[in-house]
Amino acid sequence: MVRVLDPTLLVLLYSTVAAATSALGAVPLLWQARPSARWIGWSNALAAGLMLGAAYALMVGGLPRIPWSGVAGALLGVIFVNRVHMASGTADLDLNRLGETGPEYGYQVLLVHILHAAAEGVAIGVAMTVSLPFGVFMALAIAVHNVPEGMVLAVILTARGVRVRDAAMLAVATNVSQILLAIVVFALASAAPSLLPWALGFAVGALVYLVMAELLPECYRQAGRTSIAVVTFVAMGIVILLLEVGG
Amino acid sequence: MIVPLTVQVFLYGLVTALATGLGAVPFAFVRSISPKAVAQAHAVAAGLMLGASFGLVAEGTSYGSWQTMAGVVVGVVFILLVEKVLRHQNVGFVRARGAGARRMLLVMIVMTVHSFAEGIAVGVSFGGGMTLALVIVVAIAVHNVPEGVAISAVLRPEGVGVWRCAGWSIVSSLPQPLMAVPAFLLVETFSRVLPFGIGFAAGAMIFMVFEEILPQAYDHERRHPVAVTVTVTLVAMLVFQQYL
Repeated sequence: MVRVLDPTLLVLLYSTVAAATSALGAVPLLWQARPSARWIGWSNALAAGLMLGAAYALMVGGLPRIPWSGVAGALLGVIFVNRVHMASGTADLDLNRLGETGPEYGYQVLLVHILHAAAEGVAIGVAMTVSLPFGVFMALAIAVHNVPEGMVLAVILTARGVRVRDAAMLAVATNVSQILLAIVVFALASAAPSLLPWALGFAVGALVYLVMAELLPECYRQAGRTSIAVVTFVAMGIVILLLEVGG
Repeated sequence: MIVPLTVQVFLYGLVTALATGLGAVPFAFVRSISPKAVAQAHAVAAGLMLGASFGLVAEGTSYGSWQTMAGVVVGVVFILLVEKVLRHQNVGFVRARGAGARRMLLVMIVMTVHSFAEGIAVGVSFGGGMTLALVIVVAIAVHNVPEGVAISAVLRPEGVGVWRCAGWSIVSSLPQPLMAVPAFLLVETFSRVLPFGIGFAAGAMIFMVFEEILPQAYDHERRHPVAVTVTVTLVAMLVFQQYL
């Protein structure tokens, strides 16, 4: 049945599923209102590992060889995320501050999540352009990644007095940028194939950068280095294993 | 003068090992070692090792996915065991003691063990014929330089001199000539072990990056400068491997 759908609708469908899984992250909060710092750290590490695995998939599964336009795209990805963080004053923002109740902090965290999701949208759109199975693989990897990420965001929001149901909704809402970018990038790269290496490079640069700037620095302060390394490594390994053995 | 093939293979392997010492060269130009420079050095090491490992995993899985993945798992278990042993001992490395010495020793162990896999790769590739020997030697020699940079980046901030960094970098690559010879003589056997060895090397390196190298970078520098360095060096390493 899926085959008869228009490719753009498929991208919409899969990226929406990937965006919606964020809500699942709020589910554990129904039982445990405030998980310990270690659990938050492990969730971040899980998200980091899955994202690095997705970046690896794009690096080796996207194109047979990285062209120079891909390298330029990767640098653009790094510069973009870096500049936006600097300009919005979120560069040194601790993203997991539970006691912080100022309104500005809440908006900043939401902004960081929206931009983070946008980069993931580029990754899904690019992978969909490469091939449908690869795109589905990428969308699923991001979907699973969004669960622990959604949990961490929901913890921050509920600690600020937001209800669990609203936190789940907000977590999904921050991912609307992911759906939009997935569709735009898919449409553009399909229409103009010369854009593909640029977008692919951009996604790789941005994903690796986000892991290194947003997810991992938080982890090491929340749980022990060995446990963080194990969780990150296993999450990344599973994505690579599925890609290499399955694909 | 006719040099026996096995001696040639050994000498080629030795040349590639010596090239690793060149990785210390950039550190001859860095005068002061501020905490931020220490962090940046670790970020460079992390990016280089992650990029190298991604390249290794991609290469290993082209020989055999499951063997590579088995190698990866054994590589991580190996690191955990080595750490367990080191943790209960008061280790010293060069003049350093404590956590710094433990980190240096771990990097040396991982990079040396990783050279065994590379040596096998060298020998196996020579087994395909000596016509491309020079190309292979140059490629691997150049490829070894960033590994020397990664080792020096961890050793130099602990007060190890530039010459000693070069020396330790070369030591870490000595398994290359040693493993190249048997791999060349027994290509059939060793090409079957190759994906496992490659996976082992990649697993050990990636795990060490997450457990020792990255936390060290975040300790002394803000997150964004670290992220820029790691991402750019990772991409540079991938490109570097592809075009050589």
